[in-house]
Amino acid sequence: MTEQQNTTPPSTRNIIIASCIAFAVAMVVLFTAILPAEFGRDPLGTGELLGLNVLSAEENPFEEHAEIHRTDYVEFILEPFQSVEYKYLMDLDAPMIFSWVADGEVYYDMHAEPAGLGEEYAESFEQGNADRRMGSFHAPFAGIHGWFWENRSLNTIVVEVYSSGYYQTSTVFRDGGDYERVIEPVAE
Amino acid sequence: MNLLFTNFRLPSLTGSALSILAIGFSLFSASAFGHTIEGGDANFVQAIDGPAPMPFMYLGAKHMVTGYDHLLFLVGVIFFLYRPKHVVQYVTLFAIGHSITLLLGVLADLQVNAYIIDAIIGLSIVYKAFENMDGFKRLLGFELNTRIAVFVFGLFHGLGLATKLQEFDLSPNGLVTNIISFNIGVEIGQILALSAVFIALSVWRTSGSYLRHAFATNTALMTGGFMLAGLQLSAFFLQPPI
Repeated sequence: MTEQQNTTPPSTRNIIIASCIAFAVAMVVLFTAILPAEFGRDPLGTGELLGLNVLSAEENPFEEHAEIHRTDYVEFILEPFQSVEYKYLMDLDAPMIFSWVADGEVYYDMHAEPAGLGEEYAESFEQGNADRRMGSFHAPFAGIHGWFWENRSLNTIVVEVYSSGYYQTSTVFRDGGDYERVIEPVAE
Repeated sequence: MNLLFTNFRLPSLTGSALSILAIGFSLFSASAFGHTIEGGDANFVQAIDGPAPMPFMYLGAKHMVTGYDHLLFLVGVIFFLYRPKHVVQYVTLFAIGHSITLLLGVLADLQVNAYIIDAIIGLSIVYKAFENMDGFKRLLGFELNTRIAVFVFGLFHGLGLATKLQEFDLSPNGLVTNIISFNIGVEIGQILALSAVFIALSVWRTSGSYLRHAFATNTALMTGGFMLAGLQLSAFFLQPPI
């Protein structure tokens, strides 16, 4: 099949040696590097020595925040074809949990605008028509985060918003204007 | 197959120790752990409801192109195949093998432990490297039929693919279309990856160093196989059940 002549098959001895080396190298890497880095097992102490243990450190479910959280409740009325926006000023990675409940179906758009960048950089997370949405939210950037609601029906609809989180203020956009609501921390 | 080697001297092994380690370490830099469908792709697979042939085809191709375990095995398979005709023969056998178990595995909902399957896939690399070193003929005095072996390992690789897909709650809506699309994608990815590997090996073959380093390369391949098997068996024994 091929033309090389000056080649001879490997000797039995060399095959055994090479196979043993392959196995030994694999086991050395497995015990010194893979076990500490992937599984947090450190039978030889090499994970500690080489600083590989950090790779398998489990993410702590606890996440500390510097401020006391706030909690908010709003109820507002949407006349037919009226719309409103409620936005919280939040830092990067600040969490919030919320539930909003309406007594009729409204169009909603949960979105955020990065601080200082304005509307053209707004990012939308969820839109649709519903009478309630419940969820948790982790601010993907510093800025204002919240909802746009619009009543596309011919009935007057009442919307209630419950939320808790690490936000600082709330801004309401309504009838072409906006105003800020100050929300106090739950304790001080 | 005609297996030809230059005089093998031990010192040449130490010379390639670095390349062995390089291969070994690069295996694990690609993803945090194992080789699964991750991140945004995982979200997509779970959210889909209904036939989505193109996305699944893409995922299949991506899985193959980025699947170092499958790729290492294929490097071993075509290492001593010099003619495209033979490459096509072997790879077709491999593809038939893994298509059967991928389709059956998902459709019949066969529950197999993914770590065990992946460990066997690692050992399939060891097997092929050992065979390329002429180990079976010279050491054990017999030769396995490589075509059958490649087909059988194809069955295992397909089962591995199936377990990856089964980790998700796949919607029964459009399931057959999606799995067949995934499988077609796997074949496309395999052709892409194999072409690259075959071209690279062909270029290497034109230089005299190919056969000189053939033995060391297969030793490195075997090391990778042992490492993958070790990684997966560790996961099987150490990973907490989900």
